[in-house]
Amino acid sequence: MLEIHNLHASVEGKEILKGVELAIGPGEVHAIMGPNGAGKSTLAAVLTGKPGYEVTEGTVLFKGQDLLAMAPEERAWAGLFLSFQYPVEIPGVTITAFMKAAVNARRKAAGEPEMKTGDFLKFMKQKMAFVQMKPEFAKREVNVGFSGGEKKRNEIFQMAMLEPDLSILDETDSGLDVDALKIVADGVNALRSPEKSAIIVTHYHKLLEYVQPDFVHVLKAGQIVRTGGRELIEAIESKGFDQF
Amino acid sequence: MGHGKYIAPPKGQYQVQAGETLILQFVVLPGESRDIDVSIDLCGPGAEAHIKGLYLCGADEKVNFRIVMHHKAPGCKSTQLVKGIAGGSAQVQFLGTIVVAPDAQQTEAYQENHNIVLTPEAKVHTQPQLEIYADDVKCSHGATVGQLSADELFYMRSRGIPEAEARTLQMLSFLSPVIPEGREEEMENVLRQL
Repeated sequence: MLEIHNLHASVEGKEILKGVELAIGPGEVHAIMGPNGAGKSTLAAVLTGKPGYEVTEGTVLFKGQDLLAMAPEERAWAGLFLSFQYPVEIPGVTITAFMKAAVNARRKAAGEPEMKTGDFLKFMKQKMAFVQMKPEFAKREVNVGFSGGEKKRNEIFQMAMLEPDLSILDETDSGLDVDALKIVADGVNALRSPEKSAIIVTHYHKLLEYVQPDFVHVLKAGQIVRTGGRELIEAIESKGFDQF
Repeated sequence: MGHGKYIAPPKGQYQVQAGETLILQFVVLPGESRDIDVSIDLCGPGAEAHIKGLYLCGADEKVNFRIVMHHKAPGCKSTQLVKGIAGGSAQVQFLGTIVVAPDAQQTEAYQENHNIVLTPEAKVHTQPQLEIYADDVKCSHGATVGQLSADELFYMRSRGIPEAEARTLQMLSFLSPVIPEGREEEMENVLRQL
């Protein structure tokens, strides 16, 4: 699914990622944990093609394609999704208009016809119910005036709509209460399948109680310094990141 | 003058009498330089004037707005909302003056001018001016010149919306308060070319 090899990346001339190695197979859920400033969000940004991040060395293959050569929208069409740590407000654009544009752009890229409005609205209603989003949100402007929990729920809703092959959840658990966390976790768990993979980027263990990862990686100072199973979560919880 | 609605790039002088309402809505599309020179006198008590304007320009076009809203009688109300987008090496100038005469107590006058520049070469100069000679007045103005948000653009692209379409969506949402009813599709087509 995803193969990252010797990835180096800089922001404003400062090297943040210093040789990341990571391979993710189909159906696997990987947790990437690490202290603040380790490069977790930079890794998520580089994988999704956020402007302002410069890859200076290394390769990333996504389903065999050179991910770094693709525009952000092409990465989405190929089946990559990022749940933003700080979802962006888009005044004047409703969730319905936003998702319709996104869903149809991907269909167009795949050579499929646009979804009929009636079918689209039905599809959207199902997915909103699935993440327990109130129906009136369909007409709300994207993330405008949303609480922290509502924004994160909206991210999971979009993930459910776009049915990505690889989802990256960047600190999706930060700022969530237990109820919102469970909804996010249920959303992620329900999308698990033998074909679909996920990367959960976090510096807490909270979300990982509900979404059990297959692998846990520790990212520190721009490199993956340890890889293991769930036992690593406990080790981090009791002794912190200094042990690595 | 009755309770009319005029959709055309206006030029000239308007006198609004007691109890009447003037609504001016105008759309300036790319293709040529334009001067919009309007002077409105609110002459009788309770007169109202409402202006909504939209402009789009590119290339080396020049668009000049000069709007004078003169509150001459008490209890009048005026609103102005002008929004637009400048691309290419276009130059836009917005001079908006609100004058409130000494007798024009209980005046309400609002003016907003918001602009987006798409290129470093496009220039927008906006200059609101208030001349208030009465004391019982509600008056405000706001002017901004900005760019399309890069964060919004990346967010949309990360969901698979192509860059050009994402920009069009951003521009449409920015302009939506000033797009005349029924002309949304036409505006969308113009924005795609901008």
